[in-house]
Amino acid sequence: MKESIAKGSQNDADERTPVRDRWTARPAGDSDEALAGALLRAAATVQPFGAKNLAEVAARLRSRERHLPRKWAWQIAVAAGLLLFGGALYAAVLHILRGPSLRALPAAVPVSMPVSAPARRTHTVVAPPPAPLLLPEPEPSSVVRAEETRASRLAFRGATQESLEARASLEPPPATPPNPSALAQESRLLAGAIHKLRQERDPGQALAMLDEHRARFGAKGALEPEANVTRIEALLRLGRHDQALGLLDGLALTTAGVGREMLVARAELRAEKGRRAAALNDFNSLLSVDAPPDLVSERALYGRATCRAQMGDGARARADLEDYLVRFPTGRFANQARTLIGK
Amino acid sequence: MTSARSDATPTLEVASGVPDLETVYRAYAPTVARWAARLAGPLADVDDLVHEVFLVVRRRMPEFRGDAKVTTWLYRITERVAQESRRKDRYRRWFSRARQLEIERTMATPYLTPVDEFERRQSIEMVYRILDRLPGKYRNVLILFEMEELSGEEIATLTGLKLATVWVHLHRARARFIAEMKRDSEKRT
Repeated sequence: MKESIAKGSQNDADERTPVRDRWTARPAGDSDEALAGALLRAAATVQPFGAKNLAEVAARLRSRERHLPRKWAWQIAVAAGLLLFGGALYAAVLHILRGPSLRALPAAVPVSMPVSAPARRTHTVVAPPPAPLLLPEPEPSSVVRAEETRASRLAFRGATQESLEARASLEPPPATPPNPSALAQESRLLAGAIHKLRQERDPGQALAMLDEHRARFGAKGALEPEANVTRIEALLRLGRHDQALGLLDGLALTTAGVGREMLVARAELRAEKGRRAAALNDFNSLLSVDAPPDLVSERALYGRATCRAQMGDGARARADLEDYLVRFPTGRFANQARTLIGK
Repeated sequence: MTSARSDATPTLEVASGVPDLETVYRAYAPTVARWAARLAGPLADVDDLVHEVFLVVRRRMPEFRGDAKVTTWLYRITERVAQESRRKDRYRRWFSRARQLEIERTMATPYLTPVDEFERRQSIEMVYRILDRLPGKYRNVLILFEMEELSGEEIATLTGLKLATVWVHLHRARARFIAEMKRDSEKRT
């Protein structure tokens, strides 16, 4: 087939209408078309692709090697840049969303503490809270397990968020920001205590470090709320329930964040000490709000049933147990609940 | 210097069968180079573009069944490669003005006086500045018609557009070109 493009043949029909007149073919003039034509004419000239260029490119083609910049290198660079930018943006958004309490905290706060796997596992150890009157007295072994369980219940799942929530829920932060170096020392000491408690499983040493923290920074330490929570956890692990309850009694606990965990622990300890009305108040406050169907709600519901049963309110205890079976049919106390209500 | 179609001499239009790279290269490399230079503009390295086009040709050669003309096939590859080159140039210009110097190197010619050369360079820069503001479909039709001096039918064949569409695109391209040219002049004054 003939190469019509090469021949440069011009269709005669093209010449009949103004749109088909080439601007570049017009003589110089002042009209817009003539000026545009002159510009386009000037730009139409290109360097010839001579024999030398032909040979060079042919050689490059034969060598199969691309002399052009590698595309993948650019793509990797761009992807890495986007990834870094995205990560930074995500971190910034998280930082902003978490609010001023997080921004006020130093980097060395125990937020970097890994959650100890054993502590997490102990959550699964099942021990019933104080048994209802309908149940036989718990065996000594189950008391030990109950202590362990209470201790484990207080173990933090993720130090980051919960310690912040604890801080928000337990006490207001100090009005004036402390000396940064003091804050760094304080956080190092607290991080060490948490490490002893959760990683090395040495609550005695942890308590000693917490005592040191208290001696150095007093009750006005910036991280005192976190230290308090850690102290309660250590006391529970040591089986010193009275002291733990003493501390818990002194706290204004809320039903938010780690405050819920503390509240349910306090309710169980109060029930254990026979302070059933106070325990019932705690259980009620946990269950009165729109409680999520989590372990705390489960414990609170079963604990309240137990308290009510011990206080002689059998009908409401039964109602709680039935509610428990509806909400937590495979819960850790489901079997006991079924036994108690005779299902 | 080559003006318009003076070296547009592809000697082979493969009518049947699958052509081999060597044959296609020898026959069409100058044409591809000219298309590439005009479509990509003065900042482009024509050797690189031709190389890039024929790398694609080599890769796609087994898929070419001769349903379309070789020129049409090559033009479309060149168009895409030139478009990519312009896109890269835009990014480069973001970061550096160094490429501007290459216009001087590329376009310098001993046949013009320095004043002529300067004016010509200014014209080229202005033309491509205006062309780059046009949509690609209008831009390419205008280049093919005015600079490559192809007929409407030839443009239709190369681009795969209907003839009537070619004229519509050319008409709109010219209108926009004039408008942009006026705006450019107003800015300068």
